[in-house]
Parts: sequence; structure tokens; C-alpha cells
Amino acid sequence: MSAMLRLLFFVVSLSPTLLLVTWDGSLSWALIDGIRLHLTLTPLAGFFLTLLALAAPLVALPMLRRPCDWPSLVLYVLLLLGMQLLLLAGDFVSFFVGWEVMTWSSYLLLLRSSRADMETSQSFILFNLASAFLLLAGILVFFSLTGDFAIRSLAEPSLPQALTLLALFGLAFLIKVGTLPLHIWIPSSYDQAPDAFSAFLSGSVSKMGVYGLILLPTLFPDALASFAGRFLNGPAFGYLLAWVGVITSVVATFKAISQEDMKRLLAYSSIAQVGYITTAVGVGSSLAIAGALYLALVHTLVKVLLFISVAGIVLQTGQRQFKDLGRLIERMPISFFGVLIGIIGLAGMPPLPGFAAKYLVFVSLVDARWLLLLAAMILASTAAFIYCYKLIYAPFLGHANSPGAKEAREAPWPYLVPQVILMGLLVLFGLFPGLAIDVLIDPVLVGLQMAPIGAESWAKLTTVYGGYDGVVLMLVFGIAFVLVTGLFLLLRGRMRRAGSPYDLSFAGEVPTADTPLHYGAGMGRELRRIPLVGWILRQGTRGFYLGLAGQMRAAAALLGNLYVGRPQAWILIAVVVLAASLAARAMMGGL
Amino acid sequence: MMHAVVDSLAMIGVSYVMGFLFYGFYRQLNARIQRRWGPSIWQNFFDNMKFFFKSETLSHGPMFFFGPMIIMAGAFTTVLFVPFLKDSTWLQGFSQYGNLILIIYLLVVGPLGNALAVGSSGNPFGVMGVTRGLTRLMGLEVPFFLGLALVMLQHETSSVHAIMAAQDGLANWGIVTNPVAFVVILLPFIAAQNASPFDVVGAPVEVYAGPRVEFGGRLLGVLMTQNMMMSIAKLVLVVDLFLGGASNVLVLIAKAFSLFLLTTAISMVFPRLKTEQAVDFFWKVPLGIGVLAVILTVWLPSWSA
Repeated sequence: MSAMLRLLFFVVSLSPTLLLVTWDGSLSWALIDGIRLHLTLTPLAGFFLTLLALAAPLVALPMLRRPCDWPSLVLYVLLLLGMQLLLLAGDFVSFFVGWEVMTWSSYLLLLRSSRADMETSQSFILFNLASAFLLLAGILVFFSLTGDFAIRSLAEPSLPQALTLLALFGLAFLIKVGTLPLHIWIPSSYDQAPDAFSAFLSGSVSKMGVYGLILLPTLFPDALASFAGRFLNGPAFGYLLAWVGVITSVVATFKAISQEDMKRLLAYSSIAQVGYITTAVGVGSSLAIAGALYLALVHTLVKVLLFISVAGIVLQTGQRQFKDLGRLIERMPISFFGVLIGIIGLAGMPPLPGFAAKYLVFVSLVDARWLLLLAAMILASTAAFIYCYKLIYAPFLGHANSPGAKEAREAPWPYLVPQVILMGLLVLFGLFPGLAIDVLIDPVLVGLQMAPIGAESWAKLTTVYGGYDGVVLMLVFGIAFVLVTGLFLLLRGRMRRAGSPYDLSFAGEVPTADTPLHYGAGMGRELRRIPLVGWILRQGTRGFYLGLAGQMRAAAALLGNLYVGRPQAWILIAVVVLAASLAARAMMGGL
Repeated sequence: MMHAVVDSLAMIGVSYVMGFLFYGFYRQLNARIQRRWGPSIWQNFFDNMKFFFKSETLSHGPMFFFGPMIIMAGAFTTVLFVPFLKDSTWLQGFSQYGNLILIIYLLVVGPLGNALAVGSSGNPFGVMGVTRGLTRLMGLEVPFFLGLALVMLQHETSSVHAIMAAQDGLANWGIVTNPVAFVVILLPFIAAQNASPFDVVGAPVEVYAGPRVEFGGRLLGVLMTQNMMMSIAKLVLVVDLFLGGASNVLVLIAKAFSLFLLTTAISMVFPRLKTEQAVDFFWKVPLGIGVLAVILTVWLPSWSA
């Protein structure tokens, strides 16, 4: 019985794939008179459905490991269905229903973790409900303008109307994406969610916000370009959004460096990566949107990979702090390669596809002539090397620092299979940077009525600013590596393995097992001595929100003054208001 | 195919020979400034060979061994993706398959691979050195990339070939047409070369808190070789971008050497900075000049137009 149910669950986790393969045409029916629901698959939604189809079964595998938590599985299925409805939606009613199902099922899934505390779950649901209500308000404004719920471009909205819509929808999606200062629900909830589910939260659920952000400009075809005019060679309105994204990336990157917990580090790095995507959406040119989609693809693959690897480490060692791990490279070699490939993709190093994505965004920034943004983005993406290094050094290298880390064994196969598949996909997309452009991204650009990037061949990434060849790059590096290693081994002389792990050049001392030799916890702490970084790390959004809460209380107290506790006063007020409004209408000739 | 193989070997050979001769000269010059005789100009070559023929090398496990191999392969790849000559079929390597941004990222691939080896050695001071190196990288890369972006914007391409081809004649050299960009990249470039005053990561007196602390014998030889070759690759890249490239090897050596003299002269005068001082400096002075350059050359023309 249990096996049947698990099989069924796995099949349901493949439903996005099935949907992607089998869906053609569209569905449409009347809800109440005049309002029709409409399900269709646009190219843009198809791209995000592909991401979902990639991530869903891979996250489902570790969740299926015995003993499984049945309520989590049910909620996961619900979450998947909600997200598919959201992506298929051709009208705002289904979109909102999908959004709500996604919000609530992910909230309840978060609560299934024994580590989830009150503060985290409250901030999660508070921010996500705020997002949902903003979305609802936006939808109602949209309906009042068009008299219809269908998602389509507005015919010549006035400036205040468009601004209202942009603010409501934009805030809703930015909360989901988690840009500064709306990010504070992310680190603790990604950290405390069940380990395998964190992968899905970061890899897939955050992408729905990105989907909304890219969908938003299609409501007003030339809104971004015509609102506040153009700044240099890009839309001035997007310039603001791009700065929001880049500042998010910079701050979140430094926060990530200073974390001492693996999953919190990954959570902050998620915020930073999605910040890049926000920047690219702000630029808005076809190069930039291609870059944003490419980044979304890479981020999904990389974050699912990294969160599952980390989940395996936590499962096998019982430790999640950097200071308690170390030397797992010999005990968990496959997880080591998983994290290695993951951080290479995360840091955007060639030859993996992270580089192709960053290349597109950099080039789009040069093309838009927004060089200061480019410099800030370089700052974030170079500083990311430090947390990437921390993420691989502290668990896998150095010295084992806890009994759990000393006796750990390789993660079980439900954790390893997704890692191996994801590593394969990353290497594939790295070898063929044009593949993702040709198959996944160009159809979306055509659907958005933008110029496609075009790929001469799958091996090449070509833009007007030049490109590169992934196969040649990988071959040159591979051959050089084999030649160097071969030549080295041919040289005279022998290699000797150090007698013990304490056989080190340690400033003239001989370290023992009691000497603190693992640098995992302290790494990055010295960055605070750089004035700018120290300043950034001292700031927090907590004060902002406490201030906001204080203001809310003051406003509530002001309102409370009206209520004096005597019913007569209230009746009097009601009568006065009624009389005044009647008088006003009478004077204006309404009666 | 045959051409590619011979050409690649020639590039690796040229960069190696230029590397040890330039650094040999550096040691001579440095000694004379400090009123010493100094070693011969061949000394770096002798040192390198001595390391390679050490009879015994200590290793701390497979990852420790593969780190220097990755950094060496990274150095080869970098050299092969930088075009050494213009208007020539020789010394091109695979540069037509790459671009400027790719080269900047390739410069970092090797050191990051080696950082894995340092971590694998289990020496906390080595890891401290890596963190210092990454911190310095974070500092220098921002103005460096901003300067290069100004060049990419000027030529509207990221292809090094196209940028080189646009600089025919002294009046069209990048250093003449875009001097601010050169000023912006000059100091970060010195740091990228791991030269004083930004050399806290690998300076001789800092070896005990540097990434190389655990390496000896042939592995240290590999690290030394890749350092010399990478330096040449970076010099040639700046020659390509700002000094009009070179049409034959002699011109290349002359231009690279004059650039090397310029950076050396700056290096020898200033005392070493701490990592955080260096980063703060990069974010104030070169980046400040870069921001001014962006405002003057990009913002103002677009507003007045």
C-alpha cells in the first residue's frame, strides 16, 4: 500500500513534465455571466513550467525516503498543482487561485519542519499574504479598468492607472522574489523548512515571482519605455528596478558571507541571485531578458543541487553549522562533486552555464550604457566567490570538527540521484551554451515580441557584442589538464603522502588534535574591517520594520481615541455622518 | 589542426620565456634599487627548474595534488584565449572562440581550483591566505572591470580581436583615445599581477599566512610557472586593449616590457598595504576615477545630445 502511494506521488511529481508534453490548445469556460476563465500555455509560462518540470521530481525523490512524512507529500502535490494552475492561467482569477494555493501549501509544508519556530512561520505567512493581497488589489484595479479578468495588455492606460497597477503587482512579485527590504522572511524560512523542501522553495517557488515580474511589462507594452522616458540607452523606470536588484545582490552577498549555517548561507545567496534577475528584468532589452531567463534556469538547477547536497550532509552528520563540519571529501565524495559543480555554476565561472547567463546580463548592461550598475553587479558576483569557497571548504575540506563529521557516510541514493542528474544537466548546458538559448529562451523572446538571440550552433553563444564557444573552451581546458597532469607525473621524483593530518607548516609549532585547525566558522569575519562592508553588515531591516510596527500602533491608538466607550457618542456620530452625506447629495442635486 | 597544436605550443613557450626573463629582470632591478647586486636574469629559470627536479614532494591527498594541476591548466587556457599578435595567423591560440569577459573570468578559474587544494591541506593559515586573496580580488575586480567596460563600450564589442583591429596607428591606441580607462585599470592591474603594494597574499614574508604555505617541491614549481605565465597573459591583454596590440613578437615584447616597467616602477615605490586597506583604496581611488569617467564620457554626452 505504502509503495503504491509513493509510486503515485512520484508520478504526480512528474505532472509538470506530462503537462508540458501533452498540453496543446487552450481551455475556456464561463464562471459567471460575462466572466470567462481561460487556461492556456504561453511561451513564457512554458519556460517556467520547464523549470518546474525539472525541479519537481528531483525534489520529490529525497522526500520519498523512508520514513516519509505523509502530510508533507500531500501538501507537496497540492503545491505542484497550484503552481501549474498559476502558470497555465490566462486570466487573473485562476492566477490568483494558483498563487493562493501555492502560498498556503508552502506555508503548511514549512510548518511540517520540527525546527520551524513561531517567528519564522509568522513572517513567512505575513509577507506572503501581503503579497497575495497586493496581487488581489491589483487584480481588482485591473478589472475596474478593463471589465475583464483576462491577462492581456491594457489599451492606453492613463499614467496614474498604470502606476497604481505597477505598484500593486510589482510589490506583490517583489515580495515573492525577496528584494531588499522585502526579503526578511526568506533566510529564516529557507533555513527552517524541511531540508529537501528548501530546495524547492529556493529553486522553484521564488521563480514564480520572477515569472510575474517578466509578465508584468506585457500588461503595458511600452510602459517601461515611455513612463519616465529613457536613461542613457535603457528605460528610466527600469533603471530604478535594476538598482533595487543590484543593491539586493550586494547586501545579500555580504550577509551570505557572514552566515555560520549552511542553509542560511544558501538562502542569502538565493536572494542575491534573484537580485541579478531583477536587475536584468529592469534593463528589459532582449539581451537582458534572455540573461534573466538564463539566470533563472541556472539558479533553479544550481540551488536544487546545492540544497539537496546540503540536505544530505545534514542527514548524515546531524550538523548544519560550518564550525561543526569538515573533511567530508573523503567520506562523501559524490556530495563533494555536487557542491563543487554547484558553486562553479553559482559563481558564474566558465565553462558552466552560470557564465553564459552572467555574460548576457553584463553585455546587456554595457549595451544599455549602465556602467555603474555593471560595476556594482561585478562587486556582488566577485564577492560571491568568498561564500562559494566557504561553502565547499567548511564542510568538505580542512579538519573534521565533530563526531558526526568524523563518522559520516555518503548520503543515501535518493539524495545522490538528483545530484548526479543536475550535475549532468549543468555540464551539458555549459558545453552547449547555445542549447538553452535555442530551445528554451528564444521561443520566449519571440512570444514576448522581442528580437531572438539566435544560436549559430548549440556550442556557441553569440551576441552582437561577441560570444564564445563552450565546446572549444571545455576541450582546451580538459586537454590542458590531462597534459599537465601527465607531464607532471612523468617528471623524476616521487610524491609522498603526509604522515598525519597534523603534518603541517604551522609557524614552527607542531599542531595536535586539540589545536583548532578548522577555519570554517571564522572565514569572512575579517571582511568587516573593510569600511564599506562593515557598514553594510551593521545595517539591518529589523529597525525599519520595528519602526513601521510602531507607526501602525500609533495610528491604531489614534483611531482608538474615537471610541470613547459610550454608545450614545457612536450613534450621534452615525447620525451626523448620515445627515451630512444626505445633505451633500441633496446639494449636488442627487436626490 | 596541426597549426592549432604548433601555435598553442608556441604561445605557451613564448609566455614562459617572457615570464621568467621579465621576473629575472625584476629581481635585478629591485636589487639595484636596494643597492644589492642581485641574482642573474636567468635566476628565475634556474629556480623553476630546481623545483621541478626535486626528488620528493609532500602531498595531502588527491585534491591537494589536483589543485596545482587545475591552476596550471587554467594558466594554459588563459594564455591560449588571449591573442598575442594582430593581423597574423600565429600566436592566436583559440582566441577567436573567446572574448574579453571570458578572459577576465578565466584568470580566476585556476586560483579558485588551487584554493580547493589549499583547503584540502588542512592548514588554517593557507585558507586565511585564500580568503585574503579572494577579498583582494573582490576589491580590484570592480574598478578593473569598470575600466574594461569603458573600453567595451567605446568599441561596442567584447571581442579582443575587434578592439585590437580598431587601434591602427598611434593616434588610435586605447591609451590615447581612452586614457581615463587606462588610469582606472592601472592600479587594479598591478594588484591582479600580485605585485607590490598589493602583494600581501603572496609576499615572501607572508608565506606563512599565504595560500602557498603547504606547497613544496614540484608542486611549488607548478605554482611558480603558472604565476609567470599568467602575468604575461595579463600584460599581453592590456597591450592588446590599450597599446594597439603587436604585429610581431619583438614589438609584443617591447610593448609588454614597457608596460611591465611602468607597473614595476609603481610597485617599487610604495609599501605593502593590508588586505582591507587595499580593498578600501580600490573602492575609493580607482573606482572613484571610474565613476567620474562614466559620468563624463557616458552620462554627459547623452544628456547634451
